[in-house]
Amino acid sequence: MFLNGIEQLLRRKIVLIAGIAALIFLGFYWWGISAASSAFDKGELTSWDEEAQTVVSMLRPADAALAAIITAGPLAATLITALAVVLGSSMLPEEISRGRMPFWLSLPQSRLRVYSMISLAPFAVSLGLALLLFGGILAITRLYFPFTSRNLILAFFSMILWLGVVWSCVTALSIILRKVASMVITFFLAGLASMFGGVYELMMMFPGEAPAALVTVARVTMFVFPADRGFRGVLYGIIPVDAAVTENMAFFGVTAEIPPEHLMYGAVWALLLLWLGYLRFRKMDF
Amino acid sequence: MREEPVILVSEISKSYRKVRALRDLDLTVNCGTSFSLLGPNGAGKTTLMKILLGLVRPDSGKAFLSDHPVSSPLARKGVRFLPESVTFPDWASPAILFKQLERIRGEASREDFDRRCTELDCIHLIDRPVGKMSRGQRQRVALSMVTAGSPSLVFLDEPSSGLDPAGRILVRNLIRRLSTEGSTVMINSHLLGEVERTCDRAAFISEGRLMAEGDIDTLSRQKGLALVSTADPDPMRAALSAMGFSCRPAEKGITADLPDPSHFPALTASVVETGIGFTGVTLLREDLEEVFLRIMGEQHPGDGSFS
Repeated sequence: MFLNGIEQLLRRKIVLIAGIAALIFLGFYWWGISAASSAFDKGELTSWDEEAQTVVSMLRPADAALAAIITAGPLAATLITALAVVLGSSMLPEEISRGRMPFWLSLPQSRLRVYSMISLAPFAVSLGLALLLFGGILAITRLYFPFTSRNLILAFFSMILWLGVVWSCVTALSIILRKVASMVITFFLAGLASMFGGVYELMMMFPGEAPAALVTVARVTMFVFPADRGFRGVLYGIIPVDAAVTENMAFFGVTAEIPPEHLMYGAVWALLLLWLGYLRFRKMDF
Repeated sequence: MREEPVILVSEISKSYRKVRALRDLDLTVNCGTSFSLLGPNGAGKTTLMKILLGLVRPDSGKAFLSDHPVSSPLARKGVRFLPESVTFPDWASPAILFKQLERIRGEASREDFDRRCTELDCIHLIDRPVGKMSRGQRQRVALSMVTAGSPSLVFLDEPSSGLDPAGRILVRNLIRRLSTEGSTVMINSHLLGEVERTCDRAAFISEGRLMAEGDIDTLSRQKGLALVSTADPDPMRAALSAMGFSCRPAEKGITADLPDPSHFPALTASVVETGIGFTGVTLLREDLEEVFLRIMGEQHPGDGSFS
């Protein structure tokens, strides 16, 4: 069932377009990084004023890598989220509307298996694209600016969690609501969570300075849709551990960390949403 | 046919909001039977079939396939289903679709599938994308996929839908072959002629209730008529009328009124006595269409819709 779903998805134009877009993205990224590397090596930044030169002289290749990853990561995430939302919202509803569900359910397999295997296919394809994009970003950056990532295992599991939250949300909503509604709601929640996730990280750098209401709104957003925690986990896992900026920030007590309980909460949230979707699917007549 | 129930339905009821699709329906189908569900549109036939396949949950009652409750995946082992309308992905060829299907059920080999495709005259379509096939071609391919191998129980919802006369004959032969090979076949069809030629038993359902069930031959009543097949109908009619039989012209001879079947030997003797050539004398029985109209008419007395 899962392999059938993958086979079907890989024939879709949207997947082909996303794959080509990912390769174009990585091509441009490669071009930009190689140009930045040449400039970095030639010291072309020395035309700046004295203060800037002092700062630049402190930077290491890993700092350039950090800047590149922090810039490229959210752009890649948008493409991946869009694909996950589009595929996740259409897989189950399409099998139902095309009349294939009675066919699958009449085979000797449980409803849980049909539900999970059909809906797992979009998750796997989105994860594949995420691995391609973030793996590509990592490889290209390392090629020109050698650095050591902070925690690639954390990055991988956070990636599963991030996509898991988006996927479970859109899957459950696509069974309960209409396809377009599930897409719009999930994309809106993903955008909102990303924005408040970033705001929350900024607020954590200046404890006690941010308005209490803003902290509350950011926390509620993260509670309602914990996808951003996973995405930050990916970013914080692949960024350089040996960048001067990272070390200096750590000196002031600012560390890019996602508490494990945030990641655990995301995992539970995703499973709960999937289960809610299944409860609806289980009661459906075909 | 063995006296071993493969389908057992006990007091099944199902409603869709305010519409009662099935009402306390009981049904038993024995192993190796070719069985048909008959009834007008909206009678509950498809709902019953879907309940048996676990696609629709009944409000009350129990249903079993081979002693397993229909909610269990075990009940669907060896069971095949062809829905009335299913849209396969346009890009996929029958060969790919069969491979996908077998990944899940693992009950038939590619050779089995090729054999069925040959039987249904669609082997040449095996690598053609479904999107480039006509409706009838898709139906043949789908039937081949569903019936490949040795299924124990086959549910077919309007299997002849979209098929040309040649295709219908192939489907008819396929159903007979499945039955001969020991499969139980349950068909939901409005083509009564096809059902009559392929099925042993039938259940008549109306407004969610079981109206009648049994052997098609048993359900069909004698019509009180005998057909005398002859190439000389006019002299035969005149001769029999002179002997006291009331006769009318028929397509391949004449029909004689025979209110009491015990008069059949007397009629046969009279036909011989006329000395006019004849090829047979047969007691006429209702065909399935007439049985259907009679049973449904009993359900709706005074309603002209089934007369």
